[in-house]
Amino acid sequence: MRTKSAEATTGREGRAADTGGPRPRSEAPRRGPARRRFVSRDGTAAAVMIAPNAIMYMLFVIVPALAGVALSFYEWNLFDDPVFVGLDNYREVLTDDDAWAAMVNTIEFMVLGVLPTVLVGFVLAVLVNTRMRGVGTVRVLYFVPLVVSTAVASVLWSWLYQPQSGIFNYLLGLVGIDGPAWLANTSWALPALTLMIIWMSLPLVIILYLAALQRIPDEIMEAAKIDGAGVWRRVWQIIWPNVSAMTLLVLALQVLNFLSAPFETALIMTQGGPIDSTTALSLYIYRVAFEQGEIGAGSALSMIQFLLIVLLAGGLRLIHRVRVRRA
Amino acid sequence: MKPSTAVTVTRYTAILVIGLAMGLPLFYLFSSSLMTPQDVSAYPPHLVPPEFRWANFSDAYDFLGGRTIANSFIYSFGIVILQLCIALPAGFALAKVRFRGSRALLVFFAIPMFLPNNVVLVPLYVVTNELGLIGSYAGLILPIVGRTAFATLLFRQFFLTLPDGLIDAAKLDRAGWLRIVRHVAVPLSGPAVAAYASITFLNSWNDFIWPLVAAPGDDYRVMTVALAPLAYQEGLSNVPPNVGMAAAVISVIPVLLVFVFTQRWYIQGVVGTGTDNT
Repeated sequence: MRTKSAEATTGREGRAADTGGPRPRSEAPRRGPARRRFVSRDGTAAAVMIAPNAIMYMLFVIVPALAGVALSFYEWNLFDDPVFVGLDNYREVLTDDDAWAAMVNTIEFMVLGVLPTVLVGFVLAVLVNTRMRGVGTVRVLYFVPLVVSTAVASVLWSWLYQPQSGIFNYLLGLVGIDGPAWLANTSWALPALTLMIIWMSLPLVIILYLAALQRIPDEIMEAAKIDGAGVWRRVWQIIWPNVSAMTLLVLALQVLNFLSAPFETALIMTQGGPIDSTTALSLYIYRVAFEQGEIGAGSALSMIQFLLIVLLAGGLRLIHRVRVRRA
Repeated sequence: MKPSTAVTVTRYTAILVIGLAMGLPLFYLFSSSLMTPQDVSAYPPHLVPPEFRWANFSDAYDFLGGRTIANSFIYSFGIVILQLCIALPAGFALAKVRFRGSRALLVFFAIPMFLPNNVVLVPLYVVTNELGLIGSYAGLILPIVGRTAFATLLFRQFFLTLPDGLIDAAKLDRAGWLRIVRHVAVPLSGPAVAAYASITFLNSWNDFIWPLVAAPGDDYRVMTVALAPLAYQEGLSNVPPNVGMAAAVISVIPVLLVFVFTQRWYIQGVVGTGTDNT
C-alpha cells in the first residue's frame, strides 16, 4: 500500500516536471530513497523477465559445459558409478593414434574448406551486388543451400557422387576424365565432403558480405565500379580492404563451421570411412562417447577441441590487431 | 561513365550460370524424385524425368510414416514457440530495464559464441539423461530451447532501437514493466519475431545430431534422422533412390515455403546478429 502511494507521488512529480521547461538530464530528480525504491522495483521486474530464460540456459548450456569439464576427470560408462581417474583420460587420448589421425583430418577439412568458402563467398557477393534488372530474382538461387538440411544434402550429394551414374563423373567423363569412386576412395572422400560443406556454407558468407558491401560509401564503390578493364585489381585493391572487419567475422564463423560440419556430414555419408579417412575430431568424440561408452575420454577430447577453438580465436584476434595497427 | 555492353553481358551471364550451378543440386533433387528406378540410375544421367512417376511420393510417405513427419513439426514449432516465450522478455529486459548486473548478464549470454554445440553434446546428453528425459518430447525439445543465447541477443539488439519515449509514455500511465512488455514491446516486435522465427525454424527443422541421440527408436524420430541412412551407400538401405529423393523432397518443402516467404527477415536477422546460429 505504502509503496503504491509513493509511486503515485513520484509519477505526478514527474509529469509536473515534464510540462515545466526542458526535461532534466536523465533520472536526476529521483535521488534519495525514492530512487532506491524505483531501482529495486526494476530489479524485480527484470528478474521476472529474465529468470525463465536464465534457468533454461543454465540447465542446458552452462551446466553441461561445466559437467563436461568435470566428466573429463572420471571414468564412466553412463551406468556404473563414475570413478575419479585424474588426468588419465587426457593421457589416454593424447597417446591415442586414432585421436591424432582425427585431428589431422580436422585440420585437413579446415585447410581445404575455410579459405575457399570465404574467398568464393566474397567474389560471389561482389558479383551479385548490383541493381541490374532481374538480378534480385536470380540471387535467390545463391541462397538455395540454406533450405537443405545436412541429411537431405547428404542423400542428394551421395547420389551426385555415384561412381557409375552420378552427375559429377558424367561431367568429368565429358572432358575425358575417369572420375574416382568419390566417397569410397580414401583420398577423395574428404575433399568430396568438403566440397558439399562449402556449397552449404556459401549462402551465409554471401549474405554477410552483401551487407558489408552495402555499407561501403558510394564514392569508394564508384571508384571500384566494375565497368571495364582492371576489374580484378579493383575488386581486390579497393573493395576487399573495405570489408576486412566482415572478413574477420566470416573467417571466425567458418573456422567453427569446418570444425563442426564434418561431424554430421561424415557420420551420415561415410560413417567416417573409408578406413577412417573422413573421421574428424568431433566425429571421433561421438564414437568414443556414444559407441564405445567412454564418457570421460570423450569429454577429455571435447576439452581439447575447445582449447583448439580458443587458440584459433586468439590467433584470429591477434592477426586482426596487427592489421589494425598497420593500417 | 556507363558500363560497356560487353562487361554487362559477361556479368549477367556469370550471375546466371553460377546461380544455376548453385541451384542445380536442388533442381536435381526435385527432378529425380519423379523418375522411375531405371531412369534415376541411367547413364548418361537424366536431368529431367523422361516420364513422371508420382507414386514415388506415396512410397516415400509410407517409408517416412505420418508420425515421423508430425514429429518434425512438433520438434520445430515446439522449439520456436517455447524459446520465443522466454527469450523475448529477457531480451527486452536486457535492452530497456536498468538493473544491477545487466552488463554481466549480457556477457553471460554471449558465452556460446565460441562454444560450438557439438563440444557440449556429450555432457548435454548426460544432463538430459540424468533428468530422465531421454526418449521423450521434453528431452528432444527442452535442451534446444535452453540454447537461448542467440535469440536473447537478437531481441535485445532489436529492442535497443525502440525509442525510450514509448516506454516513458507507458510509465506515465503507470504501467508496470510486465504490462509494458505485453502492450508495448510485443506488438512492436514483429520484424524481430519474424527474423527469430525464420532462422530458428530453419535450424531446428534441419537438426540431426540431437534428435538422433536424444530420441532413439521410432516414436520420436524426426525426418532428418529417418533420411540419413539413405545417404550411406555401403549400407543396406532397401529404399530405391528415387523414393529416397521423394522423401527428401517431402522434408524440404515446408522449409522451402517458410524461406521463400520470410527470406527478407531471415537475411535481416543474420546480418543484424552476424550469424545464422548453426
